[in-house]
Amino acid sequence: MAIPRMLTFLPRALAGCAALLLAVALSAGPVVAAEPAPAAPVAGAGGDFRSLDGEVQGLKKEVLDLNRDLFMLEEDLLFPANTQVAIFLSLDVGQFFQLDAVQVRLDNKQVANYLYTEREAAALIRGGVHRVYLGNLKTGKHELVAFFTGKGPHARDYKRGANLVFEKGVGAKYLELRISDRQSVQQPDFTVKEWE
Amino acid sequence: MSRAVMATPGRMRAGARALALALVLLPLAATAKPTPEKPAAPPPGPGALPPVPIRDLYYGDVLYYFYQDDYFDALLHLTAAQAANRIAHHGDDAELLLGGLYLSLGQHREAGQIFADVLARKDVPAPVRDRARFFLGKVWYQRGYFDKAVDALQSAGSAGLTPAMDAERQMLLAQSLMAEKNYAQAISVLDHWQVPGVWQAYAQFNLGVALVRNGQFDAGARLLDTLGRTESPNSEIAALRDKANLALGYAMLQTNRPLEARPVLERVRLQGPQSTRALLGVGWAASSVQQYRDALVPWLELHGRNLLDPAVQESYLAVPYAYSKLSANRQAVEAYEAAIHEFTVESARLDESIAAIRRGGLLDAVLRNDKPADSGWVWQLASLPDAPESRYLYHLLAQNEFQEGLKNYRGLLQMEGNLDGWASSVEAFDDMLATRRERLQAKLPEVLARLEGAEREPLQARRTKEESRVDAAGVADAGSPAASGTERERELWARIERMEAALASAEAHADGSADLDRLRERLRLVKGALYWQLSDAARARIGAGPAGPRDVLPGAPANVDPSSPVEATRVAPPVRTEDFAARVAALRPRIAAAHARLATLRQKQADYLGEVAIRELQAQKERLTTYVLQARYSIATIYDRAAVADESRSQAPPKAPAAAPEGTQ
Repeated sequence: MAIPRMLTFLPRALAGCAALLLAVALSAGPVVAAEPAPAAPVAGAGGDFRSLDGEVQGLKKEVLDLNRDLFMLEEDLLFPANTQVAIFLSLDVGQFFQLDAVQVRLDNKQVANYLYTEREAAALIRGGVHRVYLGNLKTGKHELVAFFTGKGPHARDYKRGANLVFEKGVGAKYLELRISDRQSVQQPDFTVKEWE
Repeated sequence: MSRAVMATPGRMRAGARALALALVLLPLAATAKPTPEKPAAPPPGPGALPPVPIRDLYYGDVLYYFYQDDYFDALLHLTAAQAANRIAHHGDDAELLLGGLYLSLGQHREAGQIFADVLARKDVPAPVRDRARFFLGKVWYQRGYFDKAVDALQSAGSAGLTPAMDAERQMLLAQSLMAEKNYAQAISVLDHWQVPGVWQAYAQFNLGVALVRNGQFDAGARLLDTLGRTESPNSEIAALRDKANLALGYAMLQTNRPLEARPVLERVRLQGPQSTRALLGVGWAASSVQQYRDALVPWLELHGRNLLDPAVQESYLAVPYAYSKLSANRQAVEAYEAAIHEFTVESARLDESIAAIRRGGLLDAVLRNDKPADSGWVWQLASLPDAPESRYLYHLLAQNEFQEGLKNYRGLLQMEGNLDGWASSVEAFDDMLATRRERLQAKLPEVLARLEGAEREPLQARRTKEESRVDAAGVADAGSPAASGTERERELWARIERMEAALASAEAHADGSADLDRLRERLRLVKGALYWQLSDAARARIGAGPAGPRDVLPGAPANVDPSSPVEATRVAPPVRTEDFAARVAALRPRIAAAHARLATLRQKQADYLGEVAIRELQAQKERLTTYVLQARYSIATIYDRAAVADESRSQAPPKAPAAAPEGTQ
């Protein structure tokens, strides 16, 4: 940037500094309203930065893939497909029930007792499905009993149960604990669904 | 200017959060179809489309983590579910979500590739395409890849964007073009752009700057001047107004219009982030029309402010310069000496900071109070540590390059911790497999012995009996077809044979009787039918017997069918265990190699950031060194001038002393 004429009579160092400030003042330009930071055009993103950034991204991707492989190995090892049973919990609407906790019993033995945080409950309301339990079962008949605790209509303490006798075959078994609103009676509904 | 200097931490975090939330909406837009069985639970956010009905439980599992902003776990569960083919019903949704997750973890290259692949398909709805390109462009912009940002933002339409998002898209596009020094195109994007609310002010500001930089000074100045006179209903507009006035004021100084520049610069608030530069500029505007006394007012106001600010540093030279112009030489010399002292002290602090960075530990100090749970790439540093180098970190963090590098460093550090955890798990897997192997080796002989011994005898006896029955049936079958039949069938067969004998005898005594022919034919049919029945029954009885007694006799390899279920059961567990062991063995070196590379790359990143930091600090130090030299030179000049004046006075006839400027001696 050229040094302004009005500053040329100044000592050279001062003039240079003023020129720098002018550059700074003008480069204060671009701003983004949604992001209060001015997000000015950056001096960076040069070759060195991009090269290093590329290396970092490549390695991070490798580590993410490695994580996936390790995660799958862990599940295969601990919960083989032929004995695996996974129990999920979903919340549909949730107008009449605010979930606090769930207790799961398999063949009269408690296998999970989960207390939900506000953040987790919100994730369920938005459509997330929580895998409450992952374990192993022999083939044959089994009974699942789930107890749901929370606030029911009119913010009253509410505890309900649901059960299902199911047949565990050779493959993995998926069961879903569903909490939904029953508009006709203005009450929550608790069911257990078997997935193929 | 930098985002770290300008934005308050709270607002910066709000911006980061906004990006994360916006990413959440991305996959939800993928299938905008009503769900009769499952009405949308939460009302969709502005511009968001109804949620996707969950058709695979594992997709819901991914969303459970995603909705908690736990992007790392969401990505892990998603990629694992895809690899295990557990979310087949959510193909495109999952791919878009994957792209969004990569984006939220700073993997913009990966995200860009996924988006390009998915968005190239014709069946992707336009709103999804627009959003994906918008977010991708935004991240390219924030990482400083302006050329790519321009491509993405230009190709994004408005269909899937909310009005605010579309406004942001246009603004980012204009800013990317300006960063690429393509001012003409930036002007065409911003000119006549009508946007709601505060966006209009930002558009006006950027357009003004673009016009000035494009050489259209008067047009740009008009816009900036209008904005600089705007009423400021809130702090955001007030800050923008300050920036407009500052930019316009300095542009006027640059074009030698000090009288116009001064009132513009005086409109900048005294306590805002632009105040120091505005005060300095007001001083220069006054001094350039020889109003040095007026110039001293803003310059002296700068004394006592943070010396790290270049405007404040410059004021330490500007003040004595004004004194000297006012012939207040003593004050000028004193002020120069004070400046030299301040600059020298500051320079020593800079040396200390540079040495501290060279010793290492800069980034560890920066990240000491970091919260590792925050896994998103939109993470921002909340506070700075109290360390020698911290004094200058605000300036360093102001640089986008430094911030992005810091995020990379932090990401690598987190991944090292992640692999440490897996390394422990893999050791546990090894122990588990060793235990399984031991149990198998201990149990297998016992099982085999049981099969070989106690249970083999009854099986063998049963086999002998069945074989005898089959053999007997075969022998009997050779004699008479009825041998293997029921008693009734044998009786019928015997009667047929008797009737055949009687017919043969009758034919010998009576030639060519038609009745005999009819009888013979009927008997032939009856015999054929019974023969068929006997054969069929015999086949069924033999087939229903134990098909292969050998199949249930493991432990005798020569006689064992390897495809039999029992054999498979005997062989499978060890094979499965060894298969797991092979997988663990293959993963262990991958962990070690990745860990080592992470450490190396993290050090490389730290070195790079150290260089950036030192480069910045050295630039500051060089500036201070130059200032010190300049101050000394100015002092010498003043002394020389005084000496010459003394000499002139000593040679000239004595006169009455001139009055010193008021307030300057």
